[in-house]
Amino acid sequence: MKPLHLLLCLALPAAAADSVTFLRDVAPILNKVGCTSGPCHGAAKGKNGFKLSLRGYDPEFNYQALLYDLGGRRFNRADPAQSLMLAKPTQAVPHGGGLRLEPGSAYYQTIFNWIAQGVPYGAPTKDGIASIEMQPASLELAKPEESQQIKVVAHFLDGAVRDVTKEAVIASNIPDVADVSNDAVVKGLRIGEATMLVRYEGKFGTIPVTVLNPKPGFAWKSLPQNNYIDQFIDAKLKRLKIQPTAAADDATFLRRVTEDLTGQAPTPAEVKAFLASPNRPALIDNLLARKTYVDHFTLKWGDLLQNSRKFLGDKATWEFREWLRDSVASNKRYDQFVRELLTARGSTTDNPAANYYRATRDPKPTMEKTTQLFLGVRMVCTQCHDHPFERWTQNQYYEMTSFFSTVGIRPGFESGEEILFDKRDDYDIRHPKDDRVMKPKFLVGSATPLPDDANRRQAFAEWITAKENPFFAKSMANRMWSYFLGKGIIDPVDDIRASNPPTNEALLEALTKDFKDHDYDMKHLIRTIVNSRAYQAGIQVNEWSATDNINFSHAIPRRLNAEQLMDALTQATGVRPDFPEVPEDTRAEEFPDPHVGKDGFLDLFGRPQRETPAEGERKTDLSLPQALNLVNGKSISDSIGGPNGRIAKAMIAGATDKALIEELYMATLSRVPTPGELDKGITYLRAGDSRAARAQDLLWALVNSKAFLYNR
Amino acid sequence: MLRIPGRITKTCEGLSRRDLMRVGGASLLGLNLPQFLQWKAQAAETGVSALKGAKGFDTAKSVLMVFLQGGPSHVDIWDPKPDAPLNIRGEFKSIKTKIPGTHIGEHMPMMADQLDKCTLIRSMSYTPNGLFNHTAAIYQMLTGYPPDKVSPSGQLEPPSPADFPTAGSHIAKRKPPVGPVLPFVELPRPLQESGVIGKGGAAGFLGKAYDPYRLYQDPNKPIQLDDLTLRKEIPPQRLKDRFELLKGINGSMPDLEKALDSYAIDEYYGKAYDLVLSGKARDAFDLEKESEKTRDRYGRTTFGQGLLLSRRLIESGTRFVQMNWPAVANGNAEVDSWDTHAANFGPLKNLHCPVLDRSLSALLEDMSQRGLLKDTLVVAVGEFGRSPRIGVSTSGNANAPDGRDHWPYCYSAIVAGCGIGAGQQYGESDQTASSPKDKPVHPNDLLATVYYALGIDPDTTIYNHLNQPRELVKGKPVTGLWA
Repeated sequence: MKPLHLLLCLALPAAAADSVTFLRDVAPILNKVGCTSGPCHGAAKGKNGFKLSLRGYDPEFNYQALLYDLGGRRFNRADPAQSLMLAKPTQAVPHGGGLRLEPGSAYYQTIFNWIAQGVPYGAPTKDGIASIEMQPASLELAKPEESQQIKVVAHFLDGAVRDVTKEAVIASNIPDVADVSNDAVVKGLRIGEATMLVRYEGKFGTIPVTVLNPKPGFAWKSLPQNNYIDQFIDAKLKRLKIQPTAAADDATFLRRVTEDLTGQAPTPAEVKAFLASPNRPALIDNLLARKTYVDHFTLKWGDLLQNSRKFLGDKATWEFREWLRDSVASNKRYDQFVRELLTARGSTTDNPAANYYRATRDPKPTMEKTTQLFLGVRMVCTQCHDHPFERWTQNQYYEMTSFFSTVGIRPGFESGEEILFDKRDDYDIRHPKDDRVMKPKFLVGSATPLPDDANRRQAFAEWITAKENPFFAKSMANRMWSYFLGKGIIDPVDDIRASNPPTNEALLEALTKDFKDHDYDMKHLIRTIVNSRAYQAGIQVNEWSATDNINFSHAIPRRLNAEQLMDALTQATGVRPDFPEVPEDTRAEEFPDPHVGKDGFLDLFGRPQRETPAEGERKTDLSLPQALNLVNGKSISDSIGGPNGRIAKAMIAGATDKALIEELYMATLSRVPTPGELDKGITYLRAGDSRAARAQDLLWALVNSKAFLYNR
Repeated sequence: MLRIPGRITKTCEGLSRRDLMRVGGASLLGLNLPQFLQWKAQAAETGVSALKGAKGFDTAKSVLMVFLQGGPSHVDIWDPKPDAPLNIRGEFKSIKTKIPGTHIGEHMPMMADQLDKCTLIRSMSYTPNGLFNHTAAIYQMLTGYPPDKVSPSGQLEPPSPADFPTAGSHIAKRKPPVGPVLPFVELPRPLQESGVIGKGGAAGFLGKAYDPYRLYQDPNKPIQLDDLTLRKEIPPQRLKDRFELLKGINGSMPDLEKALDSYAIDEYYGKAYDLVLSGKARDAFDLEKESEKTRDRYGRTTFGQGLLLSRRLIESGTRFVQMNWPAVANGNAEVDSWDTHAANFGPLKNLHCPVLDRSLSALLEDMSQRGLLKDTLVVAVGEFGRSPRIGVSTSGNANAPDGRDHWPYCYSAIVAGCGIGAGQQYGESDQTASSPKDKPVHPNDLLATVYYALGIDPDTTIYNHLNQPRELVKGKPVTGLWA
């Protein structure tokens, strides 16, 4: 151990120092030098008997811990340098965390002065922070390798202003596009966009950074704009020097939009009809009016609301599905839909919306599900600590949870039925730290807690669906966008937070406003998106758009999801696989829950088991077992060669080679074959002994082609 | 060090933590901090893992996990305590082995003779959260996480897509094998406790694409392989024709080819084609290709032939083979489950030990002779050991006077191959085999060792179904095994 007196000579006189408070001056230092970090004293159990709140989210707790733990031994006001609070981090006495403060450094001096001044906490109304300001607010770098200094300024509640760049924590969300050094210099690394995430004493801010393409010769070529979406897309692309791709051809559009709106591939008859009279807006309206549209969106809601007999039993699963179908079919306004779910009471048979509460039966998971689904906000981290990169706090977790603590569930009269009611007692939610009862309070908006006699769920439903709610309409607009463009403007769609910024904020705002202006009309939202040129764009890229995959300059192919793929195979081969649990003619898109055909083709291709309300549960990657199944699987082989299948029927009908090949192309790739493809096909059909077997080969190759497996 | 690209801003624990942990982990490589940072910087520049060149790192091409589900009694098999009181040492005597000074249970004579080919770890140990039943322990052993991290009620939840992936799935994803082979095969039956089947044995949030190829058949009988066998109506030439057609169709849409270039679709199709056509994987499953002598040496049991099959799969290039003990943990020792609550000594002597002894020793002998141990890591371990004291309840289960209960605090494992010390004992238990005396090895450390041997940095960030960052495994590789 180093003798303490060595340090004394380093101590500077404290008299002339400015007044120092814990809140304003000391707490940021503890965070900056790492005392409050996860591996150190911020750990859930602290470190070596000394516990601070994680990253200083609770300054008062930290102040108390410093002051009163160890019987106040951390301070020696008469001789501040002897205080453990200075002796430890300077390693004057052994410190497991190593050297954290250089004796005599500015930080050392601040803490020294603070101790000398009697360790004042400061006044939260004065020393607290009103806001942090980022300078500049956004950053454009002309090319990779260029760099620029940024600055973070704190505005205190008493009006004081301080440069806190050094104490702020700054990180890049995409460090291989633009990274930031310890001294707050942002450097571009490759063309693209990143966001600097700034954190200082519980306040968060962002600086969007664009690294521009320095290549000369960009000349913007205007493309037709179908609606306001394209204006916002183009505005951004123009700035980034990205040339968008024109709309795809009619056959491609037909397949894409039919799959996206109805989960089905167009039939050969539909292909012919549309190519003869390609009116896109009319096609969209036609698709939106179909039963298959209802099925497709019922499937999505079934996933999100976890409709599964694992939670609901057989009967209620079908009932809930019917309720969802009715809601989609009647184009129920989104706010109404959510209100009905959240405020549902009574028998699940009479009111299937009440099943909402049966997959997550406890208030905590129900709250997490509700915020994630309808606000795109994840509260799960805050169950244990304040959100590291968001403003949500642990208190809010329990305040929000208490909206759902009055939900009671009791057995119904029939089997498979349960009854939802509002509890009259025994519903308090307590904070795990100090056991205090947490009253319901909204995440944003009204600052006053709910009156005691209010119906909590009713109040919650009003708050969440209000047009003033900053997340409700936005998260649905964003989610819906992702269904058609492959990723959200904020992505993942159910993780909206300041540190996960939108790639095109103006576009998202416009979509949100439009959705609200049309009173949460889902079909209007969908129609607007799929009518845009951005949605209809081709998959081709050009030299300016080759590296862009976030600005919607071109379409990105998406693998058909499990149900779509199975139905597309059915339509291509003319043979529907048999599932004993459902009526014979049921399409995979109509299945009530993942218990139908469990462990088979659908699960292999990534059907979600509905264990969570997260979009991420559905998988659309491609893998070896899947390829093996498509290449050599029994069901596909049987379908292709089925005695009642498309090829068998065509043979019996005596189709010509040309007609047969055209039909196969239209039934699989939703287009007519090119003359070259036709020639090759005819040659192949005629080259072997069995024309039917050769036709099967062709069909096999078509359904295994990328153009079939992917929505493109 | 190896870092999987992705968003780094979402951790519940902070940004710098991983970096700190990386630094913390460095001491085990015998580096000081500046050296480590320099190494790391170099690694970042060259894109090569910082662990490259570290002892034991990236020495294994494949892994054979012999998972003795049910919880074998370490005291009676691997870690006898002849000097302990009768109610601990039990009925069995101990015998000398090829490792000087190391004795094992008397019913493992053939293993005693092969112990010079492997390391015997006697200090496996962990303290579970809450109840320690089989499912919870299996999940812990194979995923590296306690089940309470995924389900509030813990152990008796069925498998869920939110589960942490089993080790083989991580490996199948991170180290896909080359050539027409199955990446990850599990046999001959699932992990199971009562009605909970397969928990800890699936790809979980990685998606079913990374599930094992499940060969749930008795390898002691002829094996059926429909999906790997070219269909009768499709002779090889017809499959070739079909692939030619497919190539033509894909080739006619170059924009789509370009857009999907990074998805490796052609690779998967190429592999599927090779698998079906080459018959290589099918051959690997064909035990008729082995001599009668070899088959007898492994033992004509499900376990014995399963290990032989495992060896064939490893030879064919399969990255990860998991051979589960073929009886479920159901407390019925009479059907040769290791779960010997009701009776320990009779069943061990007559049923379990003779099978384990013969087959595992045959595997080590055979793999060693064929040179397969050079780059294969073999691990044989259960989800826990059994209570050193006989006839007491440690898990809440009832136990017969001569039964032993669950015991995760101390048990044994066999590891062999890829340069791991042959004829070595690692770690030691206390006088009653109740807890490790030195060098404790947490199941996570064992998992970390498996990843490490395969050249996967155990300190890799993975992303779950909610895209939250998680640790591949919270453990450190037991580099001392390569001593």
